[in-house]
Amino acid sequence: MKVGPVLEVFKNLFKKPMTVMFPKEVVEIPDRNRGEHHLDIDKCSSCGSCARICPNNAIEMVEVPKELAEKYPKTYPQVDLGKCCFCALCEDICPKDAIILTTNVFLATFDINTTIKPPIIAE
Amino acid sequence: MTSTGKKFDESDFSMFFGPAHPGSGNFSVKVDMRGERVLKATADPGYLHRGFEKLMEYREPMQNAVISDRVCVLEPLQWNLVHAEAVDNLMEYDVPERAKYIRVIMAELSRIQSHFIWYAVMSLGTGFMTGFNVSMGYRDYILDVFNLITGGRVYPAGYLCPGGVRKDFPENAEKKILKLLDKVEYMRKFANKENLAWLARFKDIGVITKEDAIKYGATGPVLRGSGVSADVRRDDPYEVYDKLEFDIPVYDEGDAYHRFRVGMEEIEESMKIIKQAVERLPKGEVKTPNLKPIVQFRKAKGETYVRNELSRGEGTFYMVATGEKTPYRVKIRGPSFSHMIPILERLLTGVDYADVPAIYWSLYQCPADVDR
Amino acid sequence: MAVTEQEQTNLVKTLSSELGASVNPGRERRLWVEINPANIVDACMKVQKIGFEHLSTISAVDWLEEGRFELVYHLWSYQYNTLLSIKTKIDRKKPSISSINSIWDTYAETCEREIHELFGIDFKGNKNLIPLFLEDWEGPPPFLKDFNWREFTMKEHYKEDNPREKVYFEVKK
Repeated sequence: MKVGPVLEVFKNLFKKPMTVMFPKEVVEIPDRNRGEHHLDIDKCSSCGSCARICPNNAIEMVEVPKELAEKYPKTYPQVDLGKCCFCALCEDICPKDAIILTTNVFLATFDINTTIKPPIIAE
Repeated sequence: MTSTGKKFDESDFSMFFGPAHPGSGNFSVKVDMRGERVLKATADPGYLHRGFEKLMEYREPMQNAVISDRVCVLEPLQWNLVHAEAVDNLMEYDVPERAKYIRVIMAELSRIQSHFIWYAVMSLGTGFMTGFNVSMGYRDYILDVFNLITGGRVYPAGYLCPGGVRKDFPENAEKKILKLLDKVEYMRKFANKENLAWLARFKDIGVITKEDAIKYGATGPVLRGSGVSADVRRDDPYEVYDKLEFDIPVYDEGDAYHRFRVGMEEIEESMKIIKQAVERLPKGEVKTPNLKPIVQFRKAKGETYVRNELSRGEGTFYMVATGEKTPYRVKIRGPSFSHMIPILERLLTGVDYADVPAIYWSLYQCPADVDR
Repeated sequence: MAVTEQEQTNLVKTLSSELGASVNPGRERRLWVEINPANIVDACMKVQKIGFEHLSTISAVDWLEEGRFELVYHLWSYQYNTLLSIKTKIDRKKPSISSINSIWDTYAETCEREIHELFGIDFKGNKNLIPLFLEDWEGPPPFLKDFNWREFTMKEHYKEDNPREKVYFEVKK
């Protein structure tokens, strides 16, 4: 009878398993991971480069709601997360570093109206 | 026993070894059977046709680099490299040395994780579920290193772009790659052990002779398992492969078991290449200086044909440029196009039904390469 | 196995005299030649005897202003480590050319099936020209340059009052 497999089973009884108990523990997510977008509207200069370079036409330049139209008179980017492929070309091309990609990757939802992110939400 | 000589028999029927089957992937084969023997097989591709060649005519080169990794889901970094080389040949700049070494390291890591998937699906097709779980688990350690360097586990979003690479390595990336190779070494020993059940099931099945392999367009492990010693990295070298040392495993028998052995012995050669490249990695820039941020494709004219050695065979790009912002014509050839339609139909005639999964998975197909 | 300069110039001379046209080298290990479409089967047979036995692929390009299609046959030689690309041009209104399935059997038939479905070119001698990827398609061949795919899909599938599909109607190209 071969001894090799039995020894290996015995060694593996005392090792840490390969899997983690999600959602109680999460594997560590590094900084470069591409997740949800975040727009800093005070830095944006409305040049429209992000809308022109997106390969899937996911960014559209819209106007803000009427209450904030005095402070922000130009058009600002609105992202449709259903069409986005999370490639980060809009982050690379922005001349003022206004749009960045965070590490939030838990974006699944049942409601289709929450997939369109407006530039600013009136409170 | 039913004979295959008669024209009609009462046990004739046809069925689909189809796209929603747990043993076949996204590809469908229609088999005409008589009892337990296959009389004729017809391949039915087209479930993943997205029209890449037409999509790339309306987008600029940097946008094309981002979508070029979705041509085949099992080896995205290697398709990025083929597209980047095609655009680099049409423009007139030089790619820096550090970028070439980084491209080789990422392409070889992608080849190792693709061969682990081959071991996993070969086990799944024949009922060995432990092998599937172990090799998919070890593949996950490689995907964690990809997440650290490129920003995505499976899709790197154009990390190998025209002009170099998009971002430099983060700190301590070289140490993490060398620690990863210790874990890969355990899985390599596991995959190279002789398995008596597979020897009994796969030997002398699905034999391709040397002349047939060249005539029907086979490349990659399928060709090297039939006795032809040919590899694009050695015959038509690209990037820095002419300065690195590695061997090429070749077997003469041409059956399903030896094609699979060629694949598993290639993992050791890839580990050698990665160790040499990490030692010799020079310092410097990673992107040509006059290219930030977009490639000026209006200056490119002419046509080019680029060949690369992917993990399944030979993958090529043919690109024509006429002085506009976007390419005029792009033609892509995937390695599974010649394996899955002419060769599979020829090999499946006259075999028993129990041998069909063994032949199917030993050709190592990716249905997205056939349809693109 | 690297090929020396002398062997390379000998190869270019042999090919030029066999095919009757001038062979131009591009970058290293690439050769390009252009011939008449009526001689394509003879040319492929001669070149296969010299040593170019691996057919990589067949590509088709649509030149709309000239009014012609261009077919390119890419052949690789394991003996000389060189790629030879043979280009021919055929008429666009009634496109037809002989098939090369007497040399490369069902693999050449599959490549020609794909070009017939996407560009509409007819290959004489190939009896197997059934559709490969598309099912129940009743429009013109989709990869031609004068088929406006954006108007075709917008008419059939998209509505303007859906806020997620509205952006496709405003794209300029």
